[in-house]
Amino acid sequence: MAAPPQFEHARYTQNRGAPIPAARQSMGRALIWFGSLGLLAMILLQILDATGTLPIGFENWRPTLYAYVAWAVALGTGQVLVRGEPGWRALFVLPAALFTIAVVVFPTLFGFYIASLDWNLSSLDGPKFFGFGNLVLLMQDPFYWNSLLNMVYYVALVLVEYAIAFGLALLLNADIKARKFFRVAFLLPFMLSPVAVSWMIGKSMLESRFGPVASFLRDIGVESPTFFSSPWVARLSIEVMDAWMTIPFMMILLLAGLQALPREVVEAAKVDGANAWQSFWKITFPLMLPVSVTAVLIRTIFKLKLADIVINVTSGGPGGATDTVSSFIFRVYRDRSNVGYGTALAVFYLIAIIIFLILMLRVANRLTRNVTDQ
Amino acid sequence: MKRELYNKMMAMQASRRSVLKGAAGASVAALGASTALGAFTAPAFAASDLRAEMLKVPGVGVGSPTDADWRKVGELALGPTKDRVSEGEFAGVELTFMGLNNQNLHNFLFRGFLKPWEAYTGAKINWIDLAQSDYNARLQQSIATGTVDFDIIEMGAPFEGDVAGKGLASEMPDWVREQIDMDDYVDYLKAPVGTWAGKTYRVSIDGDCHNFNYRTDYFTDEDLAAAWTDEGNDGPWEVPTTWQKVQAVTKFLKGKKIGGQDANGYLDPLKGWGGFGFYFLGSRATAYAKHPDDPNWLFDADTMKPRVNNPAWVRAIQDVLDTIDSQPPDQINADPGTTGFQQFLAGTGSMLSWWGDIGSNAKTSDSSVVGDVVGFDILPGSDDVYNASTGNWDTLASGPNHAPNMAYIGWGVYVMARVDGDSLKHKAAWSAAAHLGGKDISLWASAYPSGFQPYRNSHFNIPEWVGAGYDEAFITNYLASQANSYNHPNAAIEPRIPGIFQYYSVAEDELAKIYAGQFDAQTGADNIAAAWEKITDQIGRDNQIALYKASLGL
Repeated sequence: MAAPPQFEHARYTQNRGAPIPAARQSMGRALIWFGSLGLLAMILLQILDATGTLPIGFENWRPTLYAYVAWAVALGTGQVLVRGEPGWRALFVLPAALFTIAVVVFPTLFGFYIASLDWNLSSLDGPKFFGFGNLVLLMQDPFYWNSLLNMVYYVALVLVEYAIAFGLALLLNADIKARKFFRVAFLLPFMLSPVAVSWMIGKSMLESRFGPVASFLRDIGVESPTFFSSPWVARLSIEVMDAWMTIPFMMILLLAGLQALPREVVEAAKVDGANAWQSFWKITFPLMLPVSVTAVLIRTIFKLKLADIVINVTSGGPGGATDTVSSFIFRVYRDRSNVGYGTALAVFYLIAIIIFLILMLRVANRLTRNVTDQ
Repeated sequence: MKRELYNKMMAMQASRRSVLKGAAGASVAALGASTALGAFTAPAFAASDLRAEMLKVPGVGVGSPTDADWRKVGELALGPTKDRVSEGEFAGVELTFMGLNNQNLHNFLFRGFLKPWEAYTGAKINWIDLAQSDYNARLQQSIATGTVDFDIIEMGAPFEGDVAGKGLASEMPDWVREQIDMDDYVDYLKAPVGTWAGKTYRVSIDGDCHNFNYRTDYFTDEDLAAAWTDEGNDGPWEVPTTWQKVQAVTKFLKGKKIGGQDANGYLDPLKGWGGFGFYFLGSRATAYAKHPDDPNWLFDADTMKPRVNNPAWVRAIQDVLDTIDSQPPDQINADPGTTGFQQFLAGTGSMLSWWGDIGSNAKTSDSSVVGDVVGFDILPGSDDVYNASTGNWDTLASGPNHAPNMAYIGWGVYVMARVDGDSLKHKAAWSAAAHLGGKDISLWASAYPSGFQPYRNSHFNIPEWVGAGYDEAFITNYLASQANSYNHPNAAIEPRIPGIFQYYSVAEDELAKIYAGQFDAQTGADNIAAAWEKITDQIGRDNQIALYKASLGL
């Protein structure tokens, strides 16, 4: 409900014109200090209790959560009391910021802490501080590096997916019959669950004995067709299933980009005598570069999370040929209850992804800047 | 009884023709089975009125039991409880029970069974239902974070190391032991299984083992028999009883036809299955690795040094490698589920190690084509067995060494130590567990869909099954393969140590590399052993040694 006009006016006048009374500011500061001290004290008490230094008998960490909420309220109220109108404005952002800290920043930092532990759930001794020990183990773990190498292959194939998606987008952007039908039809694979695709295609259609694809290949003379037995064929089979599901997503992004292209530029090129090939490479492709970069970036992020199809269809085999980092971490966590090491693998992967994406963005920025400058 | 087995019985009894065909197909197995089962059937005691009455609820062939039936069974089975607990004795006591909700069985039955118990004793039970896939994580997290929030748990024996080994389970009182008649358990479920350091913790409600499933039509095929002789193979064309013969038959069958289809021998699952795939290499290895004079076969109990890279295990791995080319194409991508349900039951392959599910699905599964031609036996043996103490291969005077793999050991009910401080709660929890694991109620659970297999000697009393309405030929044949494994004197019992599935999971990763040709058998086995040593060190070697010894009753 909107505040009464008189109230709004009075507050505006007060904060723009008259200074905020010192007593009110002091009260606000005191509130923030008390809230902060309360939060810190509660954290300290819980840590002392958890480590057994000062047994208090907390059953869980909820008191710290309550203290955090109380501190958030104190902080918000204090902002208003100390800063007046700017404090009110801060209230629009503060809850979201504090919520982000609670559910994103804190878990991430906590993840770094867990990654520094030697913590196997089956160990009688519980978690032990391990420092960079998990990092050392990671460096020596051939299964992890194998899965990282596989990720390089999978990510490299994003460019092939992009080319196919671009081709399909051009097709659907052209004046073809049943264009609307094809647009919907091509989107259908993107609507499917990866688990469903794993079973419907990977475990049924591509089944080597009775699957229809294998049967067809046998009918045309291929002996013992298999799709997951040799490393490269297995990798490609996984890639094809994953690409089939996600190419429509790239395609739709690119199609939206194509539809937003200024028609006069393309038509001017035609008037100047450019053929379709020249028109594509000199006009369409460069103009589409910003959209293309976005599509490839988002697809790369999707690809780096590839796990479900691999887990369901090959379990990473044969011999680790299709393993991804996520499917390997899944095994370390679910099957081996190795919480510390599994978290360390995930944290290392997160850092590697961030670095990789930053580099990608720089290259992309350079590419798009060149286009814009031209 | 597993639901599939019950359905199978019903399907068979719906068709006399099926019964006859099934009986004919199973005759080969029955030959071998009848001797051992005779021990149970010979006395042929008359079923007690109570047991007979219980088995009529709801009646074999009149549809799956409902909650009302489970309550009725629970009511009928209350006698032993009434002998030890007075009415309303547990009024005000609340217990939390954590178990599974697989196939709407397990906890669903327990609820019904315990309703009359709750009404009589006055106790109230709260339920935590878990999907099988969530079970391990939920249990491990509860233990690791000190948040055990249940008083009674349905748990597989392999997890005993994580629970009983950490002092989280309550020791069974003597009156419970008497109430549930533990002497009636099949041999392998008796101590040390269910015990730690001489203390008993488990009320068994299930049994599990791998048995040998084979195609009778292969071994009665005249063309194959003639070819076997023509190619100069030793001995007659018959169902293999040793792994040496399994290997020979598997290699022989490569390129052969049966009924116009490609013939295949033994099926190895070469793809991992969340740790469960390792059981299948274990089934190949136990005959080589489990010496009758030594309870250890996977680790040295004194050091936790893995034996998985000793000559016995390497030989088992090499056996797999030697027959990969003789197995169906794409076998490298076949997990145990594939070998069992998409291959063997669908007509591919002639020999397979699996749990009892294969037998129970053979006739009822829509995708099964082998219902009339499947036979069962205990796992094959070996002409020689590795002696880990001498480093030699021994040939036993008694003949081939058999060591059935008691894979997973089955479900049990355990009471948590957190009730020990409250004598009334303690008695209530154990009374509930004893009610679920009672002798009579367990017969009903064996005969009707429950998720549990027979596990007591009294469960193999064939006249009771026949009296309840089961077909004698099939039930005799099927149960024999279970009973002969359960009671085998050299059964290979799985180590019940913390994190046992971590060992299996790591082994699956390394085995995948061996099967993909990246390492030879010995190198790959050494890699598994090295990875196992790391796990042992991480979990705590001294603790593992102590717990392993405790699990062995040493």
